[in-house]
Order: sequence, then C-alpha cells, then structure tokens
Amino acid sequence: MQCAESLRAQAYFDGEVDAVAAADVERHIAQCPECTALLEELTQMRAGMRRELEYAEAPPRLRVAIERMLDQETAAGTTAPSTAQLRTVARRPTSPAWRTRAFWLGAFGGLGAALAASVVLFVLSATPPDPLLDDVIAAHVRSLMPEHLTDVVSTDRHTVKPWFAGHVDVSPVVADFAAQGYRLVGGRADYFDHQRAAVVVYQHGAHVINVFTWVAGRQTLPDRTTRSGYHVAFWRVGNLQYCAVSDAGWDELSALVRLLRDAGASDAR
Amino acid sequence: MPHLDAAYRFARWLSRSAVEADDIVQEAFLRAFRAFDTLRGGEVKAWLFTIVRNCHATALQQQRRRGEVGLPREHDSPPGREAIAATPDPESASIEQDQRRMLDQLIAALPEEHREVLLLREMEDMSYREIAAVTQVPIGTVMSRLARARAALKLRWLQQAEGEPHAVR
Repeated sequence: MQCAESLRAQAYFDGEVDAVAAADVERHIAQCPECTALLEELTQMRAGMRRELEYAEAPPRLRVAIERMLDQETAAGTTAPSTAQLRTVARRPTSPAWRTRAFWLGAFGGLGAALAASVVLFVLSATPPDPLLDDVIAAHVRSLMPEHLTDVVSTDRHTVKPWFAGHVDVSPVVADFAAQGYRLVGGRADYFDHQRAAVVVYQHGAHVINVFTWVAGRQTLPDRTTRSGYHVAFWRVGNLQYCAVSDAGWDELSALVRLLRDAGASDAR
Repeated sequence: MPHLDAAYRFARWLSRSAVEADDIVQEAFLRAFRAFDTLRGGEVKAWLFTIVRNCHATALQQQRRRGEVGLPREHDSPPGREAIAATPDPESASIEQDQRRMLDQLIAALPEEHREVLLLREMEDMSYREIAAVTQVPIGTVMSRLARARAALKLRWLQQAEGEPHAVR
C-alpha cells in the first residue's frame, strides 16, 4: 500500500516543488509515517549511489578522437560549402558555418550546461556573462528550500518595509499587489554583490517571485534573461538595482516588474 | 568539451560497455556538431544527452539486426557483467569495492528506462524537466518511472542483502 502523496514527497525530495508547495508537503510528511520512511530511504539511496558509484571520465584517447573528428568535420564544411552557404557567406559575416563554430565553442567551451538562448545571444554580442546572474539564481533557488523563503513573514508592507531598515543597506519598494494577483509574502535579507540585498517575496498563483534590490554597481546587466529555466529581469530606479527572478512565465513576471517600476517611480517623487 | 565526461558516463551506463560507449559518444558528438541548429533554448547538456541516447538506441538496433544480441541484455544473467568487466579489477577487493560492485550490478540489472531516469537524477543531478527532455516522455512519466526505479532498486538491494549475508560485513 502506497501513500497517495508519495509522488509529491518524492518531488519534494528532488527539489521539484516551490516553497509554497514544499510547506504543504512537509506538513503531510510530518503526519505520515510512510512518507517519512520514504524520505529516509531516498536520502540513503542517493547518498549510497553518490558515494559508491563511479563518476567515470572519458578516456583521453576518446577526447583526442573527437577533437580530431570535429576538426575534420569543420575542414570539410569550409572546403566544400553549398552554393547557398556561399551566398550567405558573401552576404553576411555571421554565416551558418561561423555560427556553428562559435556556438559550439560557446556552448561546450566552458560556459556551462544551462545557457539559455538569450544568454547565448548575450555572449555572442561580446558581453561577458555576469557572475552576479549566478548569484541571483542561486539565491532564488536557495529561497525555495524549506524555511528559507522569508525572514519576515507579512502581507503588510508597513511591517515588511521597516524590517529592512535594520537588516539591509537599501530601502526597496515594498507593495502588495494582491488585487493584481501578486500577493506580498514577506521579506528577506540576502548577501551578494558584496552587500546586503533586500529581497521582497511575492506569490503569483503557484509561483514564487523574488525581487532583489541592492545599490547598483557599474556592471551592465541585461534587461531580461533566462538561466536554468528561471526568468530574470533587471531594472534600475535611481541608484537602486532591482532584479526579479521566477519560474513564472515572462508575461507574468513582466507585469509585476511594471507594477514595481510604477510604484518605484511614485516613491521617488 | 566539459560535457564529454558526462556524455561518456551516460553512454556507458546505457550500453554497459566501455567499448560501445566510445563509439556512441563519438557518433553523438558528430551528430551534435552537425545539428546544433536544432538546439532551442539553453539546455545544452540535456540536448547532448538526448543525442547520446538516440545513438545508443541506433547502435542497439543495428546489433539486433546483425543478430549480435538476442535479447535485451538487462535480462541476461548475471547482470551487469559488462559494466564490471569494464572497470579495472585490482586483487585487493576491499569492502568498499564490494559495495561499489554490488550497487553497480544492481543498477546495471535494472530495466533501461528505470536505469536512465535514476542515473540522470541522482548522478547527473538533472531536473525532472531535463530528464523529460532527454528521455522524451512527459514529466509525469518521469516522476512515476523514477518512483518505480527507486522502489525496484530498493527491492533488489534488500534481496541482495538477504541472499548474501557476507555482503554486509
């Protein structure tokens, strides 16, 4: 007999549920011996596999063989291009062949597994990816883990905003947009870009949206990008850098960004 | 080529043979290089793994057609012999190595659809979404397969422990 919630418990174990659902699952596990046992087994199995299975590495000769093969492939591609390719080459410097090479190097040359198309474009336009982006994503993901979402839980902006005064270096816009579907859940302090950042947490349907605020640095950030499946929007108000991260869709995220921008503008006045 | 190790590992787990893994990975990188235009979005690793998986399936089909493999090898016994044979076998087998070998065998003996989701999740740390992309099934199927794979591994583990009291010393 298996508990009907076992798949959800598994998803929770695999870090596949957002903070709101996680709280729900935790409540269930606390009163379900079967799911408690399941979680224990899953933990042991993972630990056992990671400890005892070999992380095999590709043999050096395979690496060499592949490099040689791809070199040949590249050479073949450049010596015998189709007429269509020739026309494209003549017209534009960014020929498919060139892009192939660039993309290959970009994608496999150390930029990591989870580059979204937008980030690749961003890279190709010669702007280096910012480690800040990694920090923001990491902070967002961390926040989705149980008990990490908020330091101050309140749907009242008059509670959340003053809390920041004693905990972070900035005073961000805090507003409740429950009427528009973005409920204020609370606030949190995070540390990155060498300073204490304020995080205002909103919930939209099943999605958690973290809005980070810190004193803007000199780096140029993209307006929007996607990494590891998370959408990230950056914007500035005065000297404050804002950044919203969520797995919600772009439209949903953009709507909150608009609301916050408007609120920020009226705050500044 | 930072994904080479991971791709090789995956190919080896799929084929349970170091020799075949070599061929599969070479073919996969060639296909990936030629077809990168089909890559949409950013999941490079998942995309590459999908190709590795396809190459493995093609290789398996060819072998079957040539009559080299009679049955799907997961039902052969003893399970996981290839995977073991591929790893160096020093004389001094410590308890740790025994453990490792046992787990190797248990996992190699799982049906392929269970083995792959389990390894992608636990060893490659892929999300359900990525696993769904690699194995080309819906996320719901990934979840249920993963649950079945874990249950099957647990069962085999317990059976092994009962059958071989010396395994736990």
